Amino acid sequence: MTTFTSSQAAAVRLVSGAAVTAAIWCGLLPQLLRLEPIARHVALMEERQVDPSAMYYTELDRLPLRPAWIERVLVLWPEGASAACYTP
Amino acid sequence: MLKKGWHEDITACMIGLTVVALALAVTWQARPFTEAGIREQYPKGWPTPLAQTVGKPGAWVSAPQDAFRGKTGGIDLQPILLGMGWIVLIGAAGTVLGGRSLGAFLPGAVALAVMACLAYTLAGQKTVKYYNLEYPLWALAVGLFVGNAAGVPRWLSPALIGEFFIKTGLVIFGAEVLVSRLLALGLPGLMTAWIVTPIVLVATYLFGVRVLRIPSRSLCMTLAADMSVCGVSAAIATAGACKAKKEELSLTIGLSLFFTVIMMVAMPPVIDGLGLDPLVGGAWLGGTIDATGAVVAAGETLGKEAGEVAATVKMIQNSMIGLIAFAVAVYWAGWVDRDVTRPKGSLVGEAWRRFPRFILGFLAASVVCSWLHSLGPAASLWVEGATAGFTSKLRGWLFCAGFVCMGLQTNFRQLAPVLASGRPVVLYVIGQSLNLALTLAMASLTFGWLFRKVVEP
Repeated sequence: MTTFTSSQAAAVRLVSGAAVTAAIWCGLLPQLLRLEPIARHVALMEERQVDPSAMYYTELDRLPLRPAWIERVLVLWPEGASAACYTP
Repeated sequence: MLKKGWHEDITACMIGLTVVALALAVTWQARPFTEAGIREQYPKGWPTPLAQTVGKPGAWVSAPQDAFRGKTGGIDLQPILLGMGWIVLIGAAGTVLGGRSLGAFLPGAVALAVMACLAYTLAGQKTVKYYNLEYPLWALAVGLFVGNAAGVPRWLSPALIGEFFIKTGLVIFGAEVLVSRLLALGLPGLMTAWIVTPIVLVATYLFGVRVLRIPSRSLCMTLAADMSVCGVSAAIATAGACKAKKEELSLTIGLSLFFTVIMMVAMPPVIDGLGLDPLVGGAWLGGTIDATGAVVAAGETLGKEAGEVAATVKMIQNSMIGLIAFAVAVYWAGWVDRDVTRPKGSLVGEAWRRFPRFILGFLAASVVCSWLHSLGPAASLWVEGATAGFTSKLRGWLFCAGFVCMGLQTNFRQLAPVLASGRPVVLYVIGQSLNLALTLAMASLTFGWLFRKVVEP
């Protein structure tokens, strides 16, 4: 009977785990993408440039628009808050 | 002989604030000559040359090499290698300032950067990416897998400075918490986010400690903050403030992402089914789903108006991270960790001794960048360019490396009794149920009645 040393056993565990991961990520998950509800969700997100994996708003590919009512009622910087001082 | 170095929190503050100053200085140096204050011209702020130095693997479907393609379609490893280089560079600076051996750190740091890159690649697969399974989950998984399958080799151990990476990442993250930007998002959203969130946070924490009798207060607090504020980013900040164990943070992130995926998929049809007004529904989504990206995704499913309101409410909640992390740090240092045997007079001194100093770096970055951001249209684009273009990606790499370290060092046996009891799951479900009920009530009050005339399209 073949016996493994501890380092060989560790290598076997690493390689088998990597093989399972590769099978899931390169085989199963791409197949899931072909399912109609998932494909529709992904297509909608891509069309609207939404990154659902963003942890914070700064990670979004496109910052969401502010609702129109905020633009109507809010003045962030009054007229004359010139950008001139920031240009060389 | 033991070398003396700076305290880890001080080192994290120094390096984090230096990075933020560098980002602002380089972005200012490369500022545009014309239309510097026109948002339509620079929707994500002024372009910064530093963006080229911190790329990360992109989205892919079935061929992982697609994650490394540049804008031209060819394989472009340079920005990603530079991103990995930042982990090694910042880790090396922390090691030297901390008085540890640079030679011992470097070999392990390279392996750590490779594992962080692997985690980002796993997170980039489109099914995973578009269902909000964020990179911290895969970074933890990579670390757990390597640590359990092969153990941690001796040469890797000196590079496992996960807490330092996360603290430094948090200080840099402070630059993105632009209170001035987020407060300018309107009173209805402010009321929905700022009234309900503290109530849910405190109620969930107390329920976990007093009713469920979960032995770890820091687990209750991290879970409550994650669920009531804004998911993983809030969990990281609060875990640092209350000195939660890495196993507790790992558990919180796993629970949060699991329920976020369910809520992201289930809530839009529920809102449709209930016949809720899109504005009220959007506010409900924004106040309850943990992760920012998932809120925007669910909001877009409901429609343009609901998506805008959902994102607005979530962004206002985002602005609470700094305040809540500071409040939790003060509460922990002053009350939870208090040594009752010491004389009363030394209470403030004791609290200050235990206070996590890196929270001050986080607040300093947030206050300075918020102030700069409020100076005018051009200054706002300056700060947004520096943060969105550079610091947000850099702290992403640091968090990723930190979570790989946590995975490598995590011992879930310590949490086994609590996990087996199922109490953290019960706490999350009960807290989230309270959050859903209160947020729906407040969203109906603000967007459905009080400010109805203002918010109507």
